[in-house]
Amino acid sequence: MSDFSISIDNQIGKGKFHCMASPCEVLIDSGDIGLAREITACAVAEARRIEHKFSRYRDDNPIYQINHSADKFVDLDDETERLIAFAFECYALSEGLFDITSGILRKIWRFDGKHSIPTQKQVDEVLPFIGLNRVTYENRRLKLPAGMQIDLGGIGKEYAVDRIAGLLRGQYEPGILVNLGGDIAITAERANKDPWHVGIEDPNRSQQASSSLKISRGAIATSGDARRCILHRGKRYGHIINPKTGWPTAGSPHSVTVIASTCTDAGIIATLAMLQGKYAEKFLQQQGLKFYCHR
Amino acid sequence: MQLKRKLTGALSLASCSLLGLPSAQAETPWDIETAIMYYSEDGRVSALEPIVSMKKEIGDDEFLNLKFTLDSLTGASATGAVPSTQIQTFSTPSGNSTYNVAPNETPLDPSFFDTRAQFTLGWDKPLERNLRRNLGFNVSKEFDFTSISGNASWTWDTNLKNTSYTVGGNIELDRIDPVGGAPLPLSQQNLSLSPPIKRDGDSKQKQIIDLLLGVTQIIDRSSLVQFNLSYSLADGYLNDPYKLVSVVDPVTGEPFESTTSLPIYESRPDSRQKTGLFTRYKKQFANRDIFSISYRFMVDDWGIDSNTIDASYRWRLDNGYYIQPGVRLYDQSAADFYRYFLVDGEPIPNTVTADYRLGELTTQTFGVKFGYSDGRNNNWSIRLERYIQSGESHPDVAFGQLVNQDLYPDVEATIIQFSYAFQW
Repeated sequence: MSDFSISIDNQIGKGKFHCMASPCEVLIDSGDIGLAREITACAVAEARRIEHKFSRYRDDNPIYQINHSADKFVDLDDETERLIAFAFECYALSEGLFDITSGILRKIWRFDGKHSIPTQKQVDEVLPFIGLNRVTYENRRLKLPAGMQIDLGGIGKEYAVDRIAGLLRGQYEPGILVNLGGDIAITAERANKDPWHVGIEDPNRSQQASSSLKISRGAIATSGDARRCILHRGKRYGHIINPKTGWPTAGSPHSVTVIASTCTDAGIIATLAMLQGKYAEKFLQQQGLKFYCHR
Repeated sequence: MQLKRKLTGALSLASCSLLGLPSAQAETPWDIETAIMYYSEDGRVSALEPIVSMKKEIGDDEFLNLKFTLDSLTGASATGAVPSTQIQTFSTPSGNSTYNVAPNETPLDPSFFDTRAQFTLGWDKPLERNLRRNLGFNVSKEFDFTSISGNASWTWDTNLKNTSYTVGGNIELDRIDPVGGAPLPLSQQNLSLSPPIKRDGDSKQKQIIDLLLGVTQIIDRSSLVQFNLSYSLADGYLNDPYKLVSVVDPVTGEPFESTTSLPIYESRPDSRQKTGLFTRYKKQFANRDIFSISYRFMVDDWGIDSNTIDASYRWRLDNGYYIQPGVRLYDQSAADFYRYFLVDGEPIPNTVTADYRLGELTTQTFGVKFGYSDGRNNNWSIRLERYIQSGESHPDVAFGQLVNQDLYPDVEATIIQFSYAFQW
């Protein structure tokens, strides 16, 4: 059973599939349909493996185990431990703005375009259960206080993109672009050195790519609230919430796209930029990375 | 809360350990292209030209380009003088010796020898999302010629990057130090060597300003069209100090019939304006073959109008090989002051040249390039071209013995180039 489709257009192989609630594709700098099938199958398998292992919607993975361990230590496997270690690094680097325990804010912030914003009282009730500094992480083990949860959604997709690109890079010669719902990494330059053209969605015109950027190597990630926001009394509330206040940052851009050497780096920087509100551009400039900021 | 630090260094250290990647960022490689070109005119000048060009991404989408060229020219070049039924004697450019030209032979200066070294530096940087700037510097040195130039251009992408506008300019300063000094224009070439050739100073200068406006429009995923408008203004010493114009006897058509019919040094105007229009269409087919055709029209205030058509087809073979036949056709009208020769006794015009390059001419170039590209680290090609330049060998103005001479001999040349590109 194949749950992906393959096509060849203009000597570029294209594999399409759906994963992590997003449309995904791989573009291959080769007109070989057999190769396209093989590469896409490899990408699909890895994407599904990561989705399965780190999704918060399943009850048979390490995330479920951690989130249901209230005050007890949970042993971490290699990969989960590397992700947790990375999350701790990001928490420290961002002075607490990037926090994998902030997922429970979703209970009060429903970004389905219908619900209204929570009250300050509701926010105050949730805040005590947020803060990675309250989580104990030692000797490859993790202990979560009761009522707290972790959610790797903020890095999972970007991590999957980099993992897939890494796997494919090691196995296949042609340049490949891996795209999971707009988070992108490239394995190698194309044979003719032409860049890939990547559309950047303008949140104000969500159906069409508002502009395209050319990229030969590296990775792209976008953080934005194109379809996930609350409009309440004429005010927009973006879906990226400051874990310290429990509120979206005022004055944040509609979306931020960052180009970096890995998709993971690009994703973290893009998310942090959203949380910088009106200082987003200033923060991005400071990082010395190429970026596109839609307001 | 405002984050005010640069996080990228520590972040990529962390993500490299997450992804199991080597933490040190791999240095971007140099793209290096080496080429050697051999150009040989049948019986005349030949040139050997090694070229090394290097390109490196020094920042995000920011490129540094370096290019070194070395030219070594040897052989004989046409002086502009007409053939005679007699042996003709000319002075070498230095004025220190003479050389003879056999009867009925086109006079060529046999002492032509030059080495040119050139260095070009380019810096291409994105300024904003849709704006790029390219700054360049060029220096070139020959035995008798020094040139420096600087250029700047900006390219603005718009219409979802389907349309690009370019505006650019170049300023060039040249110094010419002719062998033995610049001869006085319109003065006779003195064969007795004493008194020597009349000189007009040792060192001469010229400046050239070029402006360019360009539009590139992407038509669809596989084709584009490009238009450029260019303007060039040259001021200063525009003569070729080694070119002569024969003064022939009004009856026999023989040069050197008397002391009043010695050849004179050419004299060109001291400014030249050129305007050009260039357009190109390029298409990549579904099988990745590439077709390109371009047309250039130039007019200048010397009266030279020219047309160039250039077309090539890159045909992809299996396994990374390709073959690319190409053709280039060129024609130009003569400069207003171009004369095959002057007649003894007629008033000498203020500006006159017999340099074949300023005469009416057509050229045809047929070539083929064969190459291999694996796209990354191993690309090579061989180019072979045959070039034929022809003009009016027997113009109506010929009389006397000139009727039997070839006053515009064809120049035929062979060009062979081998290129190899790799990453380092």
